Amino acid sequence: MTLSDTLIELRDVDFSRGDRPIFRDLNLTIRSGEVTAIMGPSGTGKTTLLQLITRQLSPDSGQVFVAGDDIARYGISELYRMRQRMGMLFQNGALLTDMSVFENVAFPLREHTKLGERLIRNVVLLKLQAVGLRGAAGLMPSELSGGMARRVALARAIVMDPALLIYDEPFVGLDPISMGVIAKLIRQLNDALGITSIVVSHDVKEIGEVADYSYVIADGKVAASGRPAQLRNEPSELVRQFMLGLADGPVAFHYDAPDIEEQFIGSKPD
Amino acid sequence: MFHDIWKTFLGFLQGFGAMSLFFLRLLQYTPAVLVTRFRLVFYQVYNAGALSIVIIMVCGLFVGGVLGLQAYSNLERFNAEDTTGIFAGFALIKEIGPVITALLFAGRAGTALASEIGLMKATDQLSAMEMMAVDPLRYVAVPRFLGGVISVPLLTAIFTTIGLLGSHLVAVELLGVDVGAYWQQLQNALDMEDVMEGIYKSITFGIIASLLAVWEGYNSVPTAEGVGRATTRTVVITAIAVLIFDFMITAWIL
Ligand SMILES: Nc1ncnc2c1ncn2[C@@H]1O[C@H](COP(=O)(O)OP(=O)(O)O)[C@@H](O)[C@H]1O
Ligand SMILES: [Mg+2]
Repeated sequence: MTLSDTLIELRDVDFSRGDRPIFRDLNLTIRSGEVTAIMGPSGTGKTTLLQLITRQLSPDSGQVFVAGDDIARYGISELYRMRQRMGMLFQNGALLTDMSVFENVAFPLREHTKLGERLIRNVVLLKLQAVGLRGAAGLMPSELSGGMARRVALARAIVMDPALLIYDEPFVGLDPISMGVIAKLIRQLNDALGITSIVVSHDVKEIGEVADYSYVIADGKVAASGRPAQLRNEPSELVRQFMLGLADGPVAFHYDAPDIEEQFIGSKPD
Repeated sequence: MFHDIWKTFLGFLQGFGAMSLFFLRLLQYTPAVLVTRFRLVFYQVYNAGALSIVIIMVCGLFVGGVLGLQAYSNLERFNAEDTTGIFAGFALIKEIGPVITALLFAGRAGTALASEIGLMKATDQLSAMEMMAVDPLRYVAVPRFLGGVISVPLLTAIFTTIGLLGSHLVAVELLGVDVGAYWQQLQNALDMEDVMEGIYKSITFGIIASLLAVWEGYNSVPTAEGVGRATTRTVVITAIAVLIFDFMITAWIL
């Protein structure tokens, strides 16, 4: 693999929250131009991984490379320049509640460019058109449904023409139609804009249809990786449990509890 | 037990240190924000002021009125009811105006600021700004802080003025103190220093109340419960801090 087709690389990354290790020796690469899925049970650290890639958090040890640079070395202005090349879709959109849909999408342009009002208007409406919400420009975030809010956030994420789009759980809490719309948009934007996409999800079915490559994260490590079709034939118990949605397996259905007989009978009043 | 007290004390010092650092960062960004984002600051002055002005006026009127009543009923016994204006006026200008305004501001605008910022944090709006390469400290925290710092002295002036009017209404219109004596006595007794004391206090309290509100919101635990707790803490801690500083400033000036 040449350097040019690797956009992001995590090398031997360790990260803990307090005393609790989240990642140990995590190694992972994201290739340019592809849609890469990050899958795994809730609480395994998928969001944390995204925060490491964008340097909202820094690893305890190990390195994160973006476009060949070790981002730990970046000063604040370089970091902000890097983030301007990234668009991130937060789980619930994270639209700024005190401005309209139009102003939300215009926000990065107003902050980082000196474009005139006419040009801003055209760019914003164009991006809203791309997510099918040009007609919603005048609404406030509180007037949007969950799916719409996420699409507006997507328009905002692409307004600066980023090279990388990051989606954190884009399907959670959406109805099947909105899910399909978002999945289609992820694929479309990736190919039409010629960018790279990272999609965090535990929705095996939806993500399987759009991802070029997938990682399954469990217990602080990459448990499996490959094309989505390959993963379905993965021998690992844990990956099978996850991919097929089985209730019991290496990830137990029961949370640790005292012995059942002892607890029920022991507490019987006499 | 001593170990617990020691740990609490260390925790307090740690929190105080972190807050001081936060305060310095707010101050560091203040000039740039005033120049490039004045619109945001102006909006926050309007916002904080608009939230608090009605309650400030109503409370000012009644607090002034009760001061007039109390001063009159005591002074009357010494046939000194003409000096009612002095007592009510001094109390309002030097103590009650700045203190009660700060407490009312904390209860109305401070809680709103803390919960607003806390909710922005809980809904990832602050992280989203970070990811859009916009520093939320500059965009969210500093304008709200400055809005409060500017509003509190203005609100204090309004409270005190209405308070004087309230005590006038009670003393002059209701209890029959001579209107000339009421205002003349106050004017003669009042020095510039007394007024300055009130102004110093209102500026200090404005900084305290705004800093604590923004700090609590910014550092709230990003859950519904955490935001609620931050809101409550804003009122409680501001009240304690304002009363302590009031004592210290008074002791220092006298
Ligand atoms: N701000 C935080 N402080 C402490 N622990 C956290 C914080 N955010 C997440 N965690 C913990 O870190 C673990 C990984 O979280 P996260 O990356 O959000 O998981 P995922 O996105 O895979 O569901 C979780 O167990 C969570 O409880
Ligand atoms: Mg997550």
